[in-house]
Amino acid sequence: MSEDERFDVVIIGGGHNGTTIAAYLAKCGLSVCILEERPECGGAQENTEPIAGVRLSPHAIANYAGPSPGWEQLELWKYGFRMDLHARNPEYRGVPTGFMTGEGMYHVTEQDGLAWAKLLGFLGTPMFSTDLFRATFWCPPHPIDVELTPDNIPFMQVYKQHQPDVWTPELLQMTMFDLMDEYIEGEPFKACMAYVALVSGAHGHFEGQAIPALSCVGMVQPPYIPRPVGPRGNIHGYYHALLRCAIAHGATVRTCCPVEEIMINDGTAVGVRLKDTSPRGEKKIWARKAVISATDVRQTFQQFIGPSHMDAGFLQRIKDLSLKGGSLYVTHWLTKDQLRFRPAYASAMAGEGVFTGGPFIGGAGTRKEYFNHVADVLGWKGKPRVPAKEGLFLWVGNQNYDVTHPQCTRPGQYICGPFDTMVATPEYDPEGPDNLNKIKAEMDAYHLELASCVCENLDSNNIVSTFVNTPYDSEFRNTGLLGGSWYGVRPSRAEWWNQRPMPELARGRTPIDGLYLCHQSSTHPGGLALMACGYNLMHIMIEDGIAEPGQWWYPSPWYIPERGKKSAKRP
Amino acid sequence: MDGITGKLFDEFPADSNWDVVVIGGGPNGLMTAAYLAKAGAKVAVVERRYEVGGGLATEEVLFPCYYSNMHAIYHMMVDYMPALQDFDLNRHALTWIKPNLQMAMVFGDGSTLLLTKMIEDTIDSILKYSYKDAMAFGRHMRVWQRMMDEIVGPATYLPPKPSLDLIVGMQRTEIGRELLELNEKSPMQIMEESFDDDKVRALMLYATCMWGLDPNETGVGLFVPLLLTRAMDKAYCLGGSHKLAGALAREIVRNGGIILEASQANEICMQNGKVTGVDLWEGRTLHAPVVISSLDPHTTFFDLVGKNKLPGQLRDTVENWKYDKWSYYTLHTVSTEMPAYKCDDPWANESYMTVIGFDSTEQIVNHWNNVMKGKLDDNFGGHVTCESFWDPHLVRKPGAHVSFFQMHAPYEIEGGWEKNGGKVEEAVREKLAKAAPNMNKDNIILTLAENPMDVEIRFPNMRRGGIKQGDYTPMQIGFNRPNIECSSSKTPVEGLYLCGACTYPGGMVTGGPGYIAANKVAEDMGLTKWWKPTKLMQDYVKTYM
Repeated sequence: MSEDERFDVVIIGGGHNGTTIAAYLAKCGLSVCILEERPECGGAQENTEPIAGVRLSPHAIANYAGPSPGWEQLELWKYGFRMDLHARNPEYRGVPTGFMTGEGMYHVTEQDGLAWAKLLGFLGTPMFSTDLFRATFWCPPHPIDVELTPDNIPFMQVYKQHQPDVWTPELLQMTMFDLMDEYIEGEPFKACMAYVALVSGAHGHFEGQAIPALSCVGMVQPPYIPRPVGPRGNIHGYYHALLRCAIAHGATVRTCCPVEEIMINDGTAVGVRLKDTSPRGEKKIWARKAVISATDVRQTFQQFIGPSHMDAGFLQRIKDLSLKGGSLYVTHWLTKDQLRFRPAYASAMAGEGVFTGGPFIGGAGTRKEYFNHVADVLGWKGKPRVPAKEGLFLWVGNQNYDVTHPQCTRPGQYICGPFDTMVATPEYDPEGPDNLNKIKAEMDAYHLELASCVCENLDSNNIVSTFVNTPYDSEFRNTGLLGGSWYGVRPSRAEWWNQRPMPELARGRTPIDGLYLCHQSSTHPGGLALMACGYNLMHIMIEDGIAEPGQWWYPSPWYIPERGKKSAKRP
Repeated sequence: MDGITGKLFDEFPADSNWDVVVIGGGPNGLMTAAYLAKAGAKVAVVERRYEVGGGLATEEVLFPCYYSNMHAIYHMMVDYMPALQDFDLNRHALTWIKPNLQMAMVFGDGSTLLLTKMIEDTIDSILKYSYKDAMAFGRHMRVWQRMMDEIVGPATYLPPKPSLDLIVGMQRTEIGRELLELNEKSPMQIMEESFDDDKVRALMLYATCMWGLDPNETGVGLFVPLLLTRAMDKAYCLGGSHKLAGALAREIVRNGGIILEASQANEICMQNGKVTGVDLWEGRTLHAPVVISSLDPHTTFFDLVGKNKLPGQLRDTVENWKYDKWSYYTLHTVSTEMPAYKCDDPWANESYMTVIGFDSTEQIVNHWNNVMKGKLDDNFGGHVTCESFWDPHLVRKPGAHVSFFQMHAPYEIEGGWEKNGGKVEEAVREKLAKAAPNMNKDNIILTLAENPMDVEIRFPNMRRGGIKQGDYTPMQIGFNRPNIECSSSKTPVEGLYLCGACTYPGGMVTGGPGYIAANKVAEDMGLTKWWKPTKLMQDYVKTYM
């Protein structure tokens, strides 16, 4: 055991969350080692170029993290973070003026627009949307012994302070639909927003999740995000800034280092043992202060630790966590001609024939279609049964990047995508986890039919290549994407905030001393590459005396310290 | 980025100040930047792609779930490259694998010939064909390995000398004189003089010329000992070649440098004949008194500096620069079984590289001549590597293997690659299935063909798909690479340096141009060098300079 192989903190998984907490802890002066099993770090913040000049975003694409304190605390600008994908083509930043439904573009009424803006805090004096989002996502759950009340839940505090006429204790029981029904008239607008929430991780119909769902949508709307929605260098470019922040502060980062087990001594995590295939001769890496599992909660407890250290009841609860709802079937099409959109969707364009993308709700664009989709994906859990013209999709049009950020630099060809639809999570598919992979041809045809609701030249003459990423593929490529899910375990009230993924794990601590969790499936708030799991865990790292940040640190204003622990607030 | 009520967060600024800006984040650009950053310079690297590494690219191109090395894979200078000693790259889990069985040639009749790290294993194999050649191989390797260790290896990392000085130096030792003599000859001549059996010649010729050395070109004979000894000593980078790029990038960042991907240099800014920085396409400016370009001569001098701003003869010499007339065609595959060759020595299945399709030197030369004429016919051959045999990390879905077939190919073929590329792929698959019968339709589940035009699209600086920014001809090597004014990395434009493969000593991930530029820039900037030349370099300087 060489001294070199001893770090203060060993982090399993070099995805978004592992790297965020690595950057924070390295900035506190701790020696940190990230172990990533894939040839490249980045996790779901990845891009790839399967054909020369054709770049895809198989997972994350949009930057939801606008309100994150991480930009400031980690100073990501220093490490090259840029948002200006379209530095020289501002005309591509146009925002479409409506939402796509099966019956054409739906235009939001001024009254509804104002009501929506009010709910999101845009109309407050001062505007309180950043506070609302930070309260919802960037605050560790309250300690287990603190009784939750309508007055101490962070987002409730924000409403009470800034928009008392919206605040009501019922906000904690409402679904997003309930809330919108009180303030908004236009049904397609509501269905669309609920759908954006659905694919963003907090469903529009979950009991008591009105505000988290609303906030998921708010963070991916102007002014929090410009169009196109990705950073320069795409979503992996955002990741680069994070990774380099960690490295600049001294973090050691190793790829191709899959972990075999978390070593536990007397109930305390003391390090990890790597799999035989990893490149290092020394396969044990010791942690002086903490091991942080930044991969999924099931892998952590079922594989890295196992039944010799965990009781059967605990492991059963891990097994029972619901993964439903976060699995997307992602398609990119490479075409000979630029896509043309049907006249009814002309205003979905910005610039010269540039499709800016967006959500689509088939049929009349109402919650009926939304719930039919939910029934398909979460109820029937197999291949889609809804006719394509009543289907739902989310399409990010990105054929329009500048030459230094080419989605497509193949002469005379165009890439469009990702085109995302929510599909059954593999392990819940009654036909088996690889069902959708087996019926790929059928699925592809269905997606073409779906896309053709708005597009008129997406046919076999025009398509050069189709690139598909299924949730089943994701699970292999990116093992932390448990169930191929984009946001980890289910964001229903039973698996969110102080319950995420279980009450005793919600603050990132585990029954094993020295073992912490920092992953979308294991800590609040989950996915979306928000730098939030890491920020929230920082409070706990300070409480446990592991991290001592400098002047740059500020905790969440709504954070409540654990009794008997050090406070993460400045003295 | 600005929100309605003010700034949401800061972005990298429109103007920033640096000591050094490196254009291009390939192996040489990264290496130069890493040395200078550690020497205390404030360094920024700009890279056009979404990921640094240039030819050190390991990407998920067999989408989804399978990674391939898109370009560099056979690392030949691992034992000589100073950077591997100077930096603690092991910290980043950089691990080299050096298989003993480096190369197998499987002939049409199923006979095999092996080239191994251990000379004796190769001799054993040659003995099947010719006692005389086996003995000659041992004798030659003894000399050629010394030429490599004493002269060619260390000289790779020292600034070039004018030919006359070089000749004077080399004449000081017997081994030097022998190398000078060898240099006059063409690779084919050397093979003919050294070996009798055509199969033995074929293996050696392939090993020597697979990087694009013209078999019949005279005056480049010094590359024969270099490339042959290197063909016996190739290393594989576990986890893929990109790990080397990643490790160097981390060294840059650890030492305060930054890397901007998805950034294309638009212009090298000048004032009063001096470099003042780099303008990026996205509208940002990186101000710096020193700019190091790892790009090819046309891009650096014409596109970025501007023809009219070039002093002296530079414009003419750049205009006369010749790019390679060939590139690679590569067929990447995912198969459920790894290739199993129909041959008399099953060890060939475990070779780092297996050559198929060629039975004679004549076929190799004919294929080369075809490529030079822009032609591809049935007479082709190439090499196959099953990457996942060495590297389980490339395969994310269990139960499959990643391999590739690669051959020399012209930039353009009759009818164009878009139209006729499919036929080439068919012919390659047929040839592959002939050599390794299990590489059939049922076994191969995914393919990606990458032709020379694709190489250029993926790596825009590899003009016409060329792998080393310019042909190796007597006029374009050594002190002449890319021209006498620039071959030691400093250019006549004040503040502008070169560190790419177009600069001495050339391409192939030697790290030579990057290392030499780092030394030169450090000297000119008055930085303290924290590194020392390797022992081999010191010995070379003592004896030959």
